[in-house]
Amino acid sequence: MRHRTARALAAAVLTAAFALIPAVPGTAQVPPPQPGTRPSDLPRVFLDWPGADVEALRNEITFVEFVPALDAAQVRVAVSPLAQPAAGFDIAFTGLKEYQGLDNKLGYTPAPDEKPEDTRKGVAAQIRIGLLRYAAKTPLAKDLSVRFLDQTKPTSVADKWNFWVFSLSGNAFLMGETQYKSGSYYASVSANRTTPELKVRTSIYGNWSDSWFDFGDGNVIESSTDGYGSSALVVKSLGEHWSVGGYVEAESSTYSNLKLTLTAAPAVEYDVFPYSESTKRQLRILYRLGFSRVRYLEETVYFKTAESLLQEALSVAYEVVRPWGKASVELEGSHFFHNAGFNRLELEAELEFRILRGLSFEVDGSYARIRDQLALPAGEASYEEILLRQRQLATGYDYSFSAGFNFSFGSTRSNVVNPRFGNGGRSISISM
Amino acid sequence: MRKRLGAAGALVLAALLGLGPASLPAAGQTVSPDIDELKKTAIRVFLDCDSCDLDYIKTEITFVNYVRDRLEAQVHILITTQQTGGGGREYTLSFMGQNDCRDLTDIQKYFSSKTDTDDETRKGLVKALKLGLMSYVGRTSIACRIAVDYTSPQATGPARDRWDSWVFSLSGQGYFSGEETYMSRMAYGSFSANRVTAASKVRLGLSVDTSKQRYEFEDSTVTGKTSSWAASGLFVKSLGEHWSAGAYVTADASLYSNVKLGLSVAPAVEYNFFPYSQSTRRQLRALYRLSLKAARYHETTWLGKLRETTLRGSLGLTLDLREKFGTVSLSVEGSHFFHDIGKYRVDTFSIVNLRLYKGLSVYVLGGYSWIHDQLWLLGREPTYEEQLLRLRELPMNSNYFAAIGFQFQFGSIFTNVINPRFGSSGGGGLSISIH
Repeated sequence: MRHRTARALAAAVLTAAFALIPAVPGTAQVPPPQPGTRPSDLPRVFLDWPGADVEALRNEITFVEFVPALDAAQVRVAVSPLAQPAAGFDIAFTGLKEYQGLDNKLGYTPAPDEKPEDTRKGVAAQIRIGLLRYAAKTPLAKDLSVRFLDQTKPTSVADKWNFWVFSLSGNAFLMGETQYKSGSYYASVSANRTTPELKVRTSIYGNWSDSWFDFGDGNVIESSTDGYGSSALVVKSLGEHWSVGGYVEAESSTYSNLKLTLTAAPAVEYDVFPYSESTKRQLRILYRLGFSRVRYLEETVYFKTAESLLQEALSVAYEVVRPWGKASVELEGSHFFHNAGFNRLELEAELEFRILRGLSFEVDGSYARIRDQLALPAGEASYEEILLRQRQLATGYDYSFSAGFNFSFGSTRSNVVNPRFGNGGRSISISM
Repeated sequence: MRKRLGAAGALVLAALLGLGPASLPAAGQTVSPDIDELKKTAIRVFLDCDSCDLDYIKTEITFVNYVRDRLEAQVHILITTQQTGGGGREYTLSFMGQNDCRDLTDIQKYFSSKTDTDDETRKGLVKALKLGLMSYVGRTSIACRIAVDYTSPQATGPARDRWDSWVFSLSGQGYFSGEETYMSRMAYGSFSANRVTAASKVRLGLSVDTSKQRYEFEDSTVTGKTSSWAASGLFVKSLGEHWSAGAYVTADASLYSNVKLGLSVAPAVEYNFFPYSQSTRRQLRALYRLSLKAARYHETTWLGKLRETTLRGSLGLTLDLREKFGTVSLSVEGSHFFHDIGKYRVDTFSIVNLRLYKGLSVYVLGGYSWIHDQLWLLGREPTYEEQLLRLRELPMNSNYFAAIGFQFQFGSIFTNVINPRFGSSGGGGLSISIH
């Protein structure tokens, strides 16, 4: 056993060392090509372009091998000028042998008074683009990359709806057995508009859930919760780092003892990194000032049935996705102005970290220090409400924490797919 | 101050990544045409993928337009995944031309490894997507602004597999949550050793889990515990494009089901009506299994047994389809004991997710079971708390679950824009992902 572990560790270290060398072959199935000496890995192309400068093409398109005879070729490229020479060229790609059926037609239209050499280069560029799909199916795909030379605005489209998207949705989730049933329902209507300059999100939603237990001899317990509300968010972009906006919200919830809360909250955000890098890293600082009018379902422990509240909140959120894994941390503090003793501090963090190739850790946790349960009802919760977690209870904190690791070694680069007897089941995740 | 900090951080990170100014794009030789005009005629793409980082793809590939509805697209890219023998995933990218690109279809593949991080996987997938898209992009005028780089591969010897296709994996996870009057904790651990080749498949696994919940009342405490473990082995031999034969070996225990130790061995045979090579898009598999099981119970069962040995036959039928119009997955399994044919169960399960018409999609996900086989049930009544916290299996004739929903969208068809300001969440809603 010890011997095996030692061997495993050695393997893991070795694989990790390997990972540091760039461009390790991505597949164990297909042996990687030898340098230059194994032209057989390159797609073999027969060019049918009378009068073409094949030598120039060879220098421009290095990821294929141009062969002189059609029988040896895997792809035939036929370039034919259109009726009027100035009108351009048709470029037809025909897949042969293992690429049978992979055909395409591209074209090239020269600009008025273009030099013949530029036209030839233009046709060559189109041939290069058309051949990529064949090369992508060979082991050399990992050495190919495609770059776009420009930056475009994502809104450069002709859109008659001016980027508004409307959405209606309804969902029901039911389960049961002979002595237990539960159902939850969720419906929403939303209208959103997202452009780089302005983000608008509005929605109206409702959710209901109930559960039912039968203990035999007529003893049945039934309980339900519901909530509904609407929200609107408008955010204006002010350059690559700043944004301003506001929230308007209405909410009602039996779990939280809220009959109706109306909130208006202006807010401002600063991202230390440019927003354009958001899928890679973000460090956002958000300040929010919220004014609420609250009506409670039951009188609260502070003997209130309704009140007006002013609250401020500051949050700092950091997110990063890198080749070693990803991390996110968020810290948020808030307090009410009428009594600064009513406050809350929340910390949330998540880390997925690969120490070596094959060994990774995952940690995920949150902690909240709670001093602001203004809505807590004065009446006691029943035994069943407590066990079924259907009412918010008095607490000074809550936390959740999870940690995990995964260590894998062996032929982890094997690309074989074998679907026989199922592939280890399906996972379904439903999130609300 | 903040700004300076940000810049310093960026510098350090860039240095760590080895990004130099050298990777700046080379400027085009000729004066570039109005790029925003070219973008208007760029290929319209419908990206159909449950497990992709769509925001990342949209920020990395900007020479196409993304649309929300499949019928608007010139190319519908359906991305399906399957597990590989090495524990990674095989991504099959089916490019299906539509409208004026109807004549052009293609399939590209990308393989991720189990040891890749999310960032490596999304980078690899973007590369495969870009290469596959080129056949379509070549038909639009934005093609003149695309550069292709090719670096001749370095000398590397052919990869030799010292592990003979075996993959070992050890994992553990703990979950803790609580507040002043409530505490819950769960722990899970597993070890697996798998060897998957085209000719055979061996999967060996061991898993353990335990959980505990505690509720505090003024004068008492209610605690609920469950635990279980299982060891399993699966051996399958391939017999051509349609047939496979194999066996399951299992040992398990579960407090919820009153099983102290169960040992079973089950030879099985499977027939797939579609060739196995099409499995990422369609499968219709029938599996017959004959299982011999010896069980010892924690407490005497309602039939007065503390141990017993049973023989059971079961037949299952599974249909999986992944098409342009959506996903269909249906399965039904029936089984019975040989010593008493009246002790049987039938389980059905379905996932149907359809894009019916422009902007309208519906899903139905559900299962129904007829249950007449609970030999292992407790001889006594479970306590009130055991029932409320669902710690013990209760007698039942049937159980079900169902999720049904629809979504109807209209308005702008383009989904090019990513705007991360004030966070990306919000708007609410329900999302279902199936892998």
